[in-house]
Amino acid sequence: MQERDALLKKKVEDSAEIIPPEKLALLDPVIEKYQGSSSYLIPALKEAQEMFGYLPMEVQRKLAWGLNIPAPQIYGVVTFYSFFTITPRGRHTIRLCLGTACYVKGAKNMLEIITREVGINVGETSKDDRFTLEAVRCLGACGLAPVMMIGEDTHGNIMPSATLGILEGYQ
Amino acid sequence: MVTLTIDGVKVTVKKGSSILEAAQQAGVRIPTLCHDKRLIPFGACRLCIVEVTARGRTRTMPACFNPARDGMEVATNTPKLRDSRRLQLMLLLRSHPLLCPSCDAGGDCQLQNLVFEYEVPELSFGRQSRYFHVDNDSNFIRFNMNLCIRCGMCVRVCEEVQGQSELSFVNRGIESEVSTDFDRALDCEFCGQCASICPVGAISSKWLVGTGRRFELQDTSTVCAFCSLGCSLTLGEKDGKTVYVTSSEDSVNEGNLCVKGRYGWPFAYSDSRLTKPLIRKDGLLVEASWDEAIQTVAEKFGAIKKSSGPDSLAALGSQRLTNEEAFVFNRLVRTVFGTNNLDHAGGYAYRSLTDGLAPMLGYAASTNQIREIRGAKAVLLLGADLTETHPIAKNEINLASVRKKAKVIVVDSIRTKLSYRDGFFLDVPPGYEDLVVNSMLKFIIDEGLLDRASVDLRVEGFEELAESLKDYTPEAIAAALGLDADLIKAAATAYAKAETGVIILSEGLNRYRDSSPLSKAAVNLALVTGHIGKESCGVYVFGEKANAQGALDMGLTPDLLPGYHLVRDEAARSKFEDLWKGQIPASPGMNARDILKGAENGSVKGLYVVGENPLDTYPNRQRVQNGLSKLEFLVVQDMFLSSTANIAHVVLPVAAPYEKAGTFTSSERRIQKLNPSSKQIQGKPDLEIFMSLAAKMGKPELSYAGYSEVMSEIAGAAPMYSGVSYERIGDKGLVWPCLDDEDSGTSTLYEGGFPIGKARLAPAKLLGMVSRSSGSLKLIPCVLKFHSGSFSEWSPSLMEVCPPGFAEMSRVDMTNLGLNDGDAIKIVGNNGQAINLKAKESRRALRGTVLVPYHFSKNKLNSFTDWGSTEIMIQVEKA
Ligand code: SF4
Ligand code: SF4
Ligand code: SF4
Ligand code: FES
Ligand code: FES
Repeated sequence: MQERDALLKKKVEDSAEIIPPEKLALLDPVIEKYQGSSSYLIPALKEAQEMFGYLPMEVQRKLAWGLNIPAPQIYGVVTFYSFFTITPRGRHTIRLCLGTACYVKGAKNMLEIITREVGINVGETSKDDRFTLEAVRCLGACGLAPVMMIGEDTHGNIMPSATLGILEGYQ
Repeated sequence: MVTLTIDGVKVTVKKGSSILEAAQQAGVRIPTLCHDKRLIPFGACRLCIVEVTARGRTRTMPACFNPARDGMEVATNTPKLRDSRRLQLMLLLRSHPLLCPSCDAGGDCQLQNLVFEYEVPELSFGRQSRYFHVDNDSNFIRFNMNLCIRCGMCVRVCEEVQGQSELSFVNRGIESEVSTDFDRALDCEFCGQCASICPVGAISSKWLVGTGRRFELQDTSTVCAFCSLGCSLTLGEKDGKTVYVTSSEDSVNEGNLCVKGRYGWPFAYSDSRLTKPLIRKDGLLVEASWDEAIQTVAEKFGAIKKSSGPDSLAALGSQRLTNEEAFVFNRLVRTVFGTNNLDHAGGYAYRSLTDGLAPMLGYAASTNQIREIRGAKAVLLLGADLTETHPIAKNEINLASVRKKAKVIVVDSIRTKLSYRDGFFLDVPPGYEDLVVNSMLKFIIDEGLLDRASVDLRVEGFEELAESLKDYTPEAIAAALGLDADLIKAAATAYAKAETGVIILSEGLNRYRDSSPLSKAAVNLALVTGHIGKESCGVYVFGEKANAQGALDMGLTPDLLPGYHLVRDEAARSKFEDLWKGQIPASPGMNARDILKGAENGSVKGLYVVGENPLDTYPNRQRVQNGLSKLEFLVVQDMFLSSTANIAHVVLPVAAPYEKAGTFTSSERRIQKLNPSSKQIQGKPDLEIFMSLAAKMGKPELSYAGYSEVMSEIAGAAPMYSGVSYERIGDKGLVWPCLDDEDSGTSTLYEGGFPIGKARLAPAKLLGMVSRSSGSLKLIPCVLKFHSGSFSEWSPSLMEVCPPGFAEMSRVDMTNLGLNDGDAIKIVGNNGQAINLKAKESRRALRGTVLVPYHFSKNKLNSFTDWGSTEIMIQVEKA
């Protein structure tokens, strides 16, 4: 259980990648479009995330300056909505439930399989940018334990041996 | 009005008041953990729940955001409510580290107090540990989010009141905490409001860590000595030394302070404080005894007076002197030195703004109270960058903008922070704000947007004014200034149609020429639209330093005696001659500009400078320096060895503002008492020095038993102070005019009419040529909120957050010059003077302008300036 608690605390790691200025210039049209109205922050962030895949510090700072919205507020919004991410992610985010019910019903094995076969541990993204793995505490579907979400899809009652088969559906 | 009963007490309150406010009025205390009267209710803590019975039904509800209604019966302390509060407290304690014994907030923590009050027992459920960020890297302020109870007051005060939004709730659910973006250290106003509002120890002043706890400190309340808003300070002392500064929520400023007020005080403990008088001997300033120093000054001034006549002496006072000191200094110069050559820096800056007001309205001061600004529906800022110059007044505009949906109209040559508020921004070259105001007024008159009743009944001179404005059409002015005429019209309409509107001017050192046309234009506009003599209306003039208003009230000028009596006025003069037991020369003396010129041409031989640093602050540094160094005898009275003190013959060290008594008069005419915090005084209070100097110069009758005696003399001499006495000045001061013992002061001037009968509109000046030089860059001396000029530079704390050495430029200009942020540049003036700085990209700088803070002695910015000029053309080169 201690091991599990440690896994639950692990976050997707910050990227050390620095976005070059010419790439940041891609944001100019977004800024132009949404300038002057702070109520469009969410659509602006959405577009920016579509562009870069994630919302790192430079992107947030540039939007803050351009839209004239305080950077802490942007950061507050980005960290509030699970839709936004500040670290680069794979195309699909796996949220594996490590809540007690799921853990005892096989999530532990599923984790081992993913780690071995996909080659990523909690908080990591696969080399081919296909998957990012996150551990979550109880998804509120204990009746379906073990539960795993991939993107917006929920998979329940999973036989650990079926894990890879499910992943196959996400390229 | 609604009437309700709270715990059996009947109370009648304004409609729209909350149950909590009603309870406060009824004297019933309801516990709160997320409420502050400065903030919009948030409803997070649920401690304020009460039982409300209305129309036969009883319900529980939070008192902080539910309105009081007629006939409500409110119970605040039933066993059920106590239980529920106890449970809330237990939930908070569940994840709150119980490190009270070592917490800085111990004894000053509202959570601790309530847990004690509600006798919360051992928790009946397990504790939960969560880990949040800790920030020890920010200046002044420390964050430990593990202690946070998520009341949100820090986030709200930073956004709603300060308008800074440096803090935000980040992350979600049980992981949420308060932070900047990416947990970086603060880069904000450093007002410390977040730390002062935090009910627990999550945000606190770094300087208290390991120093002492609140209850160990001995408190003294006094008045802030930086800007002219007169915020009240509570100095917390431990072992005879100030370690903490805060402000009471019952103060006029409601507990709000800016960075200077809260964290600027360490200058008083600077190692550079002068402690002993200095006398120049063989070219060097050496320490001497007070006796010797005063003796030398008396002899030298006496000898010059004897050989070259009293008018070869001159004196410069300061907006930093208390009223009492300014009054006695006035007496000393006029009756002992025997000259009217007396002035101070406010004599050309602040005075040229207030001078416009007096003949038109009656009094030379702001018409309304600072805290009324929040009620205005339109705010017109004329060259007033309040975020930097008067931060606490800026808060009022945030409140008006958000809560009253006020239009904020900014006319400025800097893209000020307030210009981003909902409203209009009209950028003008420095010194041309009056043209915009006149064209607004022209449009208002032409379109019939004026207040007819006010024009007909309360003012005179309307026809002449309308006639004088004929060339000021929005189109003509827009063309001359490169603006959009529609913007002028829209701004004019917004101001004229608003139910309440304020106009704000501030004294800044970019006002080197006569600014009275601007203040006259502002008063015309307010009068014609009827925005005067009412709450949340009027014209405000904010002076630069703490006693800007008092210095003028006390007549630190060549031509005015205390109370705005004219030197020329025979009757007034003889009244003062009787009072002061000495002769006063009949004709006005030289002003600061002429004094400095006189020093250059030898007509002024002895100069007594008290609390100013002319070498750094007066325009045209080369000539000032030349003049000062030609003086036969220069005496400087200061806390520090300023650049002027450095070339003086005698330097007399004075007490810091926190070490002395007396009164300041703020920009809202509020007379407030200073209280010395500490027995340890370095140097002497100015008042004492003046008295010993007078005695040595053969006038021992210039002597007072103390500040209160001076104040009673002031009351006898200055009509608007006539009801003021030391005893009557309470915690919130007294606002002049205060005419007799019964008068509790006047917050809003001209409510019942004007003391001069009808207000007098002033015709606009002839529209001259607007010089719009294109191509080259303009230097704009600016102010930054961390500094104020003379003593902020000696505060290690303020120098740490805002060191000198940079010039703000627009992105476009930097790109054109091939400059990057942080590049070294050389600024060369038309007069060949040059300074080296670093370029900083800034939104504040408009294209074609370079903003350089003027308050750093090192920048020597007055090398570029001159009397009467507003434009400083420069070249910028890569260095
Ligand atoms: S110091 Fe002032 S501006 Fe900075 S975060 Fe705190 S409240 Fe906001
Ligand atoms: S840091 Fe203090 S003021 Fe801010 S939310 Fe937490 S407890 Fe409230
Ligand atoms: S606003 Fe002015 S008076 Fe108030 S704390 Fe700041 S410097 Fe002092
Ligand atoms: S423990 Fe996995 S859904 Fe509840
Ligand atoms: S004070 Fe009312 S909910 Fe906190």
